[in-house]
Amino acid sequence: MSYVFHILIMICIYLILSLSLNLLVGYTGLLSLCHAAFYGIGAYASTLLMVKLGLNFFLALPAGVIIAMLFSLLVAYPSLRLKGDYFILTALGFQIIVFSILYNWVDFTRGPYGIPGIPKPSILGFEFSSLPLFLLLSAIFASLALLILYRISASPFGRALKAIREDELAASALGKRVANFKIWAFVIASGIAAIAGSLYAGYVTYIDPTSFALDESIFILAIILVGGSGNIKGPIVGTIFMIILPEALRFLGIPNTIAPNVRQMIYGALLLFLMFFRTQGIAGEYRFEGE
Amino acid sequence: MNIGLKENNIIAIDEGLAGKRQTGSTSESFRNLCMLELRDVTKRFGGLLAVDNVSLAFSKGKITGLIGPNGAGKTTVFNLITGFLKPDAGEILFSDYRINGLPTWQIAQIGTGRLFQDVRVFSKLATLENLLLARKRQSGENPLVALFRRKSVLDMEEKNIDEARKWLKFVELEEEEKTLAENLSYGQQKLLAIARLLAGGFDLLLLDEPTAGINPEMTKSVLDVIRRLAQAGKTVVVIEHNMNIIMEISDLVYFMDEGKVITFGLPQEILGDPEVRRAYLGI
Amino acid sequence: MVLQLLANGIVTGCIYALVALGFGLIYNTTKIFHLAHGIVYTAASYFLYTFVRQLGLGFVLGFLLALILATLLGVAIEVFVYYPFHRRKASLRVVMIGSLGIYIFLVNLIAMVYGNETKVLSPGVATTFHIGSVILTKIQLLQILAFIILFSLSILLLRKTKLGKIIRALADNPDLVTVLGIDVRRVRVYIFILGSFLAGVASCLVALDVGMDPQVGLGVFLTAAVAVIIGGVGVFEGAVIGSFALAILQNLMIWRVSAKWQNALVFIILIFFLLFRPEGILGKRRRLEEA
Repeated sequence: MSYVFHILIMICIYLILSLSLNLLVGYTGLLSLCHAAFYGIGAYASTLLMVKLGLNFFLALPAGVIIAMLFSLLVAYPSLRLKGDYFILTALGFQIIVFSILYNWVDFTRGPYGIPGIPKPSILGFEFSSLPLFLLLSAIFASLALLILYRISASPFGRALKAIREDELAASALGKRVANFKIWAFVIASGIAAIAGSLYAGYVTYIDPTSFALDESIFILAIILVGGSGNIKGPIVGTIFMIILPEALRFLGIPNTIAPNVRQMIYGALLLFLMFFRTQGIAGEYRFEGE
Repeated sequence: MNIGLKENNIIAIDEGLAGKRQTGSTSESFRNLCMLELRDVTKRFGGLLAVDNVSLAFSKGKITGLIGPNGAGKTTVFNLITGFLKPDAGEILFSDYRINGLPTWQIAQIGTGRLFQDVRVFSKLATLENLLLARKRQSGENPLVALFRRKSVLDMEEKNIDEARKWLKFVELEEEEKTLAENLSYGQQKLLAIARLLAGGFDLLLLDEPTAGINPEMTKSVLDVIRRLAQAGKTVVVIEHNMNIIMEISDLVYFMDEGKVITFGLPQEILGDPEVRRAYLGI
Repeated sequence: MVLQLLANGIVTGCIYALVALGFGLIYNTTKIFHLAHGIVYTAASYFLYTFVRQLGLGFVLGFLLALILATLLGVAIEVFVYYPFHRRKASLRVVMIGSLGIYIFLVNLIAMVYGNETKVLSPGVATTFHIGSVILTKIQLLQILAFIILFSLSILLLRKTKLGKIIRALADNPDLVTVLGIDVRRVRVYIFILGSFLAGVASCLVALDVGMDPQVGLGVFLTAAVAVIIGGVGVFEGAVIGSFALAILQNLMIWRVSAKWQNALVFIILIFFLLFRPEGILGKRRRLEEA
């Protein structure tokens, strides 16, 4: 039973991640490969505040969000000037640089040794220590993320993002200040990803940089590409599919040693297949194109 | 025919069009009339002089035609006005306010609307959404407002949708409200683009071949709209290759070739001008 | 000390340059961000391992066979994936994701079949040569030699042969080439043969030097891609200059700072170039006008 809780909690965390990346990829058309970096910055920022300064989870989380948002400007500004491949590489570079910092600045982040002993979230003496309680907390945050992103994407703001995705020049010819919109998209997406980071830290009580590497960014992107983007359904379908898949493999009796490889082979093949036959993924609206 | 753009020439032409008019000083009436002005604008691409020391003036309430062979620099002039390109020399003034060097979005917000030759509708968005995008000053475009003041955003949306539907009906596309723009025919997309400009409430309208690809009945409606826009005080500039259209709706015509303004004047005069015919028809 | 580092930098630079030349050939002409180049690289090492360690063939024979297979792999990707994408007029981003899918699939296949641990091909102490105060192993000298030979041949091919002219024309203006009635399909195959071959050579030489593991290809590939961009997109020689610049800077960093920031350094340099000199070292400054 605790296994089921675990799956559901991970679904909540990845929902937050995929829904926020969706704002960048599906709505604005920015193929960002650095989402795990924001995830990691949120996790590390709130963890360090909790562990080193004894800050409460519910204060450390928003602090992590703000810090991630500030860092996102480092990617947002280049995205204004760089087109296509160059932007993708810049985001990739940001991901690698952030990982490098988390991994190598041992004095600050304890590098590969990670940070253990992260306290479970608690408020006014009440601790979310049991799995069902943590699931409740995760579900609350996931719903919050869903609500925020739904409202934002179904609004004129979301519509303007889609216009920018389709034709930036035509959008500016209608008076849309493209730069503003892109920066907002990054700030919002990174902030929400940071929420997932804090949640994850509070869940596993030990974090290390390898959870926030390029592989992770690729995984989150794969969720969006497989499930679909440009709407709310896509990321939800994608998250459930990609989280359930490895568990389904386990039931099929694939040995644990090769299970991770098989899982990745499946989604590698799936990516190729979808790019050929169905670029909107399973349930997306945005038929992934671009330049 | 007068060539060049001295103040009194404009006044002279306009007085000819409007009948003798008792006005104050010439410069005042000039300013009242002129919505957009290019002064000695030059644009180079590497070695190519795309726009060569061009001066143009477009008046409020008038439809000005911009004609010339391909490569004459007409679209470049549009690009310069809308801020896609920055002039290497000269000034562009919108109601006496210098706009060269401003970003495109700002020029659009000031009131410049553009119809592209290649239409440029937002293909994967629905027809109605295309129109809604043109609506000005949508508070819901700020994500914080969208998040926290949902009611006011929804109210504004409702009003905007009503307005947008009005324009959709006008171009006879109300059935296609939910259709993705990419699934419309070329002619329909053009109408959508025109409706978009109308919905946007722009004061200066730059129309690049507005009737190309539209059937004759719809063309009549489009021209009718254009006339009514001018009557309402908008400034309309039309690039057209169809000389009949130019004859029909322009109050004034500029003829450009090789980046220069060769001549300008009333449509009948320009189209009768042998130099123009030579450049266009190679006669 | 400095000289040794410089020498090491040159050796590493030779490897990067071979991979970058190959990637550059493909990227400049087809504009495809051929991520799978990284797995063609990795596969070559493992083919070599299979032939030498598992099938007991001699090194030379194994080397040749590995090269052939790696080249075939690269060509297969072009013929069965990229060209079909080209025919459907898929956007470059879609192709890139497809390439990513191939990479993920194959890297996990290799890891599954061969294991994740580092494999070494020539155990024992390597023969060393002393050149002044610098020490280089036999294999390192081979790497330099291979680079010199292959680079010269590449330049000869690009400058003096008809295929070379077509390749340079493709890099300059892809549409023009189809107008001239050239069999683009066949030219692309040749390009992939060349590119994959170069990567294969680099990979096998490195395998003989330090061994191999499934993950290493991505790092080498990304460095090579950065080298192509900072060297100047569209200028084939630029990839080589970029490669040596990166390799030498990396080694200087090892000396002055530490080895662990190498990856971050590569991308910091990339971002610097993208923001301040996007045309690269050898590229021509093209003022990109809108509309």
